Amino acid sequence: MSVYEVNYICRELLRDHTFRDAMRTDPVKALAGRDLTGEEREALLAGDVGKLYRMGVNSFLMGYLPRFQACGITMETYNTRMRAEAGQQGAATGH
Amino acid sequence: MAEVVAAFGVPHTPFFPALVKREGPQSETGRFYARQRQDLTQLRPDVIVLFSTDHLNTFFFDNLPIFAMGVTERFQGPIDEPAEVPMYEVPSRPDFAAHLRRTCIEAGFDVALSEKFKVDHSFMVPLHFLNPDMAIPVVPVFVSGHVPPLPSAQRCFDLGRTIGEAIASWPEDLRVAVMGSGSFSLDVFGPLMAPGRSDGVPDPQWAERICKLMEDGSTDTLLDEATPRQLAKAGNVGGEVLNWIAMLGAIGPRPAKYLMPQMSQGHAYGLWEGR
Repeated sequence: MSVYEVNYICRELLRDHTFRDAMRTDPVKALAGRDLTGEEREALLAGDVGKLYRMGVNSFLMGYLPRFQACGITMETYNTRMRAEAGQQGAATGH
Repeated sequence: MAEVVAAFGVPHTPFFPALVKREGPQSETGRFYARQRQDLTQLRPDVIVLFSTDHLNTFFFDNLPIFAMGVTERFQGPIDEPAEVPMYEVPSRPDFAAHLRRTCIEAGFDVALSEKFKVDHSFMVPLHFLNPDMAIPVVPVFVSGHVPPLPSAQRCFDLGRTIGEAIASWPEDLRVAVMGSGSFSLDVFGPLMAPGRSDGVPDPQWAERICKLMEDGSTDTLLDEATPRQLAKAGNVGGEVLNWIAMLGAIGPRPAKYLMPQMSQGHAYGLWEGR
């Protein structure tokens, strides 16, 4: 499952400060070469956390995206988009 | 012989250290942690056994144990940058931890081993408040409470009971405090968070129910009601109650000496005294 790579990227925001800065300033370049499907890359760059959640990405890890303003995602945007997923099947309900 | 002198239930909310620094020791959170620190100091434990749930920092999806134990001279944390928490070095007791793990495995619990690791706020926030000079050695026990399928409540209770028995069979006179850390109902960055916040308490009735059952010592009822469906309904970190349940297993079912709810955060602070 390449969702693993999205989860890994989210955690790298916490661990790798250079990557963190790159995801804030030039996310297209930062994600180049990462082992993502086209759909995952598109959703990440669009800040479509709802779609990523439905794909099975861990919501707690996705919290690093707004925390570090990666891919232009603000707390407000994240909150609105993720709350719209209430009741949907996601990572919180298991693999 | 070693003995469990007390059990502490304690939250690990990562922004609490900054909140207490900002609002002062008389804030609600400051007072609750201070009460527990005072109790811990008076109990004079030689070692702490701390059940908590790693937030995919010590472990990850490449290798994610249901249960694990740290067996090491010392470990560091936190590695996830909670504000106002310095990087601590925490002493441990590898001989004692190895005995606990061996006893668990002999009893049928396949507890993973880590001899070199760092921990996140889930372990370090409680220790920051309760053991700030890190004078008391800590044995960390990792319980998978976030990534379903979770271990059952009964399984976690039985693990705790086995660790309690292992403590009692350690020949050295050790005063042991067990701790369980986490929330009862909380969703962090998930769909059940509150508007305008990064978290939310999606099932406050469940959090209150847990408090009531723990206060009364109604452990069997708690184990029956803490189903996978209920824990999922309680939020994406609702499984952290499993750490409290393991802690209760270690000290044995009994009413709490006190339980201080903090329902705005879906958790509580509790103390159980040993016999």
